[in-house]
Amino acid sequence: MDMKVKDSKELLTEVIDAGLCTLCGACAGGCPYLVSYKGRIVLLDSCTISQGQCYQYCPRTYTDMDAISQQVFGTPYSGDELGTTKEVLMTRSTDVCIKESAQYGGTVTTLLSLALEEGFIDGAILTKMSDDKTPSVFLAQSREELLQCAGSNYMACPVLQALNRIPKDSEQRLAVVAIPCQILALSKMRQEPPQDRMNIGNVKLVVGLFCTWALSPDGFHQFLKKNLDLPQVTKFDIPPPPANIFEAYTLSDKTSFPLDEIRRFVMPACAYCLDMTSEFADISVGSVEGIEGWNTVIVRTDIGAQLIEMAKEKGKLEVDTLPPENLAHLKEASLLKKKRALHEIITKSGDRKNLLYVGLQQSIIDRLLA
Amino acid sequence: MSGVGIDAPGSTQLFVGNEAIARGALEAGIGLASAYPGTPSTEIMESLIPVAKEMNFYAEWSVNEKVALEVAAGASFAGIRAITSMKQNGVNVAFDFLANLVMSGIGAGLVLVSCDDPSALSSSNEQDLRNIAKWLDIPLLEPATFQEAKDMTKWAFDLSEELNSICMIRSVTRIAHARGNVTLGELPKKEQKAHFDSICPVVPTLPKFIPYPSAWLHSQLHAKLDKARELFESSPFNWYTGPEEAELLIITGGSCWLYSLEAVKALKLENKVGILKLGTIWPLPRKLIELHLGKSQKILMVEEIDPFLEGSIKELVADLPSTTPHHTFYGKHSGHINAYGELNPDLVIQAIAKIMDLTYESRPAEYSKKAEEVPFTYMPPRIMTFCPGCPHRATFWAIKNALRLDGRDGFVTGDIGCYTLAIGPAGFFQMRTMYCMGAGAGVANGLGKLGQFGFNQPVLAVCGDSTFFHAAIPALINGIYNQSNFTLVILDNNATAMTGFQPHPGTGVTGMGETTRAVDMEALCRSLGVQVEVCDPFDLENSTATLLEAIAQDGGPRVVIMRRECELVRGRRDKKPPYKVHVDPDKCMGEACGCDRLCTRVFGCSGMVWDSESGKATIDETICTGCGVCADICPQGAIIREAV
Repeated sequence: MDMKVKDSKELLTEVIDAGLCTLCGACAGGCPYLVSYKGRIVLLDSCTISQGQCYQYCPRTYTDMDAISQQVFGTPYSGDELGTTKEVLMTRSTDVCIKESAQYGGTVTTLLSLALEEGFIDGAILTKMSDDKTPSVFLAQSREELLQCAGSNYMACPVLQALNRIPKDSEQRLAVVAIPCQILALSKMRQEPPQDRMNIGNVKLVVGLFCTWALSPDGFHQFLKKNLDLPQVTKFDIPPPPANIFEAYTLSDKTSFPLDEIRRFVMPACAYCLDMTSEFADISVGSVEGIEGWNTVIVRTDIGAQLIEMAKEKGKLEVDTLPPENLAHLKEASLLKKKRALHEIITKSGDRKNLLYVGLQQSIIDRLLA
Repeated sequence: MSGVGIDAPGSTQLFVGNEAIARGALEAGIGLASAYPGTPSTEIMESLIPVAKEMNFYAEWSVNEKVALEVAAGASFAGIRAITSMKQNGVNVAFDFLANLVMSGIGAGLVLVSCDDPSALSSSNEQDLRNIAKWLDIPLLEPATFQEAKDMTKWAFDLSEELNSICMIRSVTRIAHARGNVTLGELPKKEQKAHFDSICPVVPTLPKFIPYPSAWLHSQLHAKLDKARELFESSPFNWYTGPEEAELLIITGGSCWLYSLEAVKALKLENKVGILKLGTIWPLPRKLIELHLGKSQKILMVEEIDPFLEGSIKELVADLPSTTPHHTFYGKHSGHINAYGELNPDLVIQAIAKIMDLTYESRPAEYSKKAEEVPFTYMPPRIMTFCPGCPHRATFWAIKNALRLDGRDGFVTGDIGCYTLAIGPAGFFQMRTMYCMGAGAGVANGLGKLGQFGFNQPVLAVCGDSTFFHAAIPALINGIYNQSNFTLVILDNNATAMTGFQPHPGTGVTGMGETTRAVDMEALCRSLGVQVEVCDPFDLENSTATLLEAIAQDGGPRVVIMRRECELVRGRRDKKPPYKVHVDPDKCMGEACGCDRLCTRVFGCSGMVWDSESGKATIDETICTGCGVCADICPQGAIIREAV
């Protein structure tokens, strides 16, 4: 893909119409033209700006991974399975309330709650499910509001458009909780700060979630609506393999769907994603296979390390080492995603030299394709 | 009494052509006038309405032209003289009734005025209605001057009664809307009594007002035309000016007569070129034409739109004993006269000069060039657009956004009204079909039945409120009956706005200004069993959401009424804007915004200006009507509306 920054029309052609859009929301909300609607990014009118921030921040336009890595970690992109790491841990919340509503170990809610309490941030941008379980972006500014956002419905949500809507003169310090494509876009924004927009320096903490794929919010929501009484649903879950099911819990009941039925709604763009563990976050959080009620946590930056340390000290988190077999499995899964995505990209572009948006050193490419 | 009703016989008034026609109808003693507004015919009814009560006749804006003609015929059948007026497209709507009416004959004098629009300055086509007179065997007169417009109309009623046939007056924009002296005649003072006498004088067992027995009536119709032709042979509306033996004979009529006169004068050819001016256009006065054909071997037909005289006179010549050498005809077929559009003296000069091998320069080439440059030098570029504050701009903004958000390549089928401007930037290029009144809804019916061919583009038909009553109701009913998948959006601005805010059945006011029962379009649609939503187009968010919901549905039609009074009507009544609108220069980020001048570049209300000096948007206070809609589109919230 071309390395030049182009306009919104090219974004439409090269990314959105090409099936590469992840619905991260980085292009939306910053202008009156690009908006997200029912799982799509829509261009409402033509815009004559030839080099758009919409194109620039898109995680599926050309991305120089070394430059991003330099920005976040001060080192070139390693190409390791889990990206740049300080520590890989296993944690769970000690807070009963959080544990009750949490997807796994409640680590994300606990860390954000702590960051708020300690005055490290003023709010956190994350995804919230409405009563009918449609995902939307939400700015949580209290522990109660954070608790409302706990849990996942696995649907893509244009989280970053909320950032684009923050007024330029806002001094609110923020955490962002996001999935890998969104964090890649956010890293592009940090690398080339938006002009005449919010101060991206106010994003103080980036919490990444593990992600193998996300579901199309429109198609999947229609499916859920057809099969469930959505306001009654309390939690969705994809238990670790070999269960191969998608579960929806109500207060009294549980409905299971074969995972293959759900995979029909995976965003097509997810096939081209190399990142399973949100490699450019301060901390990345996921589940632990086979150990219920715990999170896998990858600590990547000093800020991430400080926060975990504080949580541990204040007794907010129980922290343990991740069993070696779990770590090995995590690495294996992450590497597999990279390899698979690279093959998909080459199939799509039809040219081994054209990796669409991926700007990687040739040695890393060779290693992954080997 | 003022206006066209002034009772001052012998005095001279300055009338536009349409007023002259109205005056002619008054002098003929009409008891009823009906019309549907349409440029350039509207002012005929507009000038009759103010004098109707005082002069004891009835005038109405009818729901459409067919009904207007039927209304006039009803009066005629009961012995009351009646006039109906419409634009050329309107005659198409009335055509079915007209084609049958002409068979039966009439009661009292009945005149149909069709105002044609050469060059289609205010129309969707430039149909030449003279052809309809020939097609249906109707006598047709065409005035060349304002005096004639008055005199011919008056005489048309006598003629109509003498022939027992409806008579047509054909006028064109340059007669209808230009102004000239008219010397007035007497206004009749006698009382009229209406009585419907249905007995057919020929076959007493049959009703009089039916087109039956058709074949026999057809032969009678031809006899009527023969009689008309005889009368026309000596009509004072036809005359010749020029030498007894001419190098060139121009045959013309209507406004083209004036162009011809001017052209001959400019070329100083009064002694070489003769002009036969015809006012009785159909049937043509055969003997009169034959007589004048002898004046020259070269004949030039000067007429607008179709080669009507040209064809008809050639037919006539074919019936004459053969002459050697035969005439040479010049006109549209030879390429000397435009085969389309309006004429002007210059074009006629060019035709004559070409035939007579003359050189003529109306003005020096250098001057012409300068004159052509002037509009681009001293005038700011302007596009055809909606008025500031027009609800249609907001409606099409919501339509555009809804169709884009829906993402299935939906589109708008439209028809005739101010909103036709949505074919261009004023309505964000949303209207993709536009034909005649009600056609948007009709065409949508067909598109909405293509699901079996994989068609899933949303179809959104628009029509105005007056158009809804005029022609869209049958299309909506058809859609319900046949379960066609489309959304009908009625742009209800409570007026027939484009032609000058005439009332219509939904307004609760009659043409003569009396309060009446308003036809509730919402209740009407609901009674048909369709879902009806009513939106204020100025509420962009709700309008967009409502439209999105409507177009997302499947099955038969659903109706969204976009209800907001025409800003020109509101402004005239309220005399003050609802809001005072200004741009906060601290909030407007100009080029740095990233909005790429959404307000002035895309939304395009003429009340907004891009100030290139400050690099920011501003409001032009002399143009802004204070609707405040733009405040909702500015991404920075920099456009401030304060209640007045």
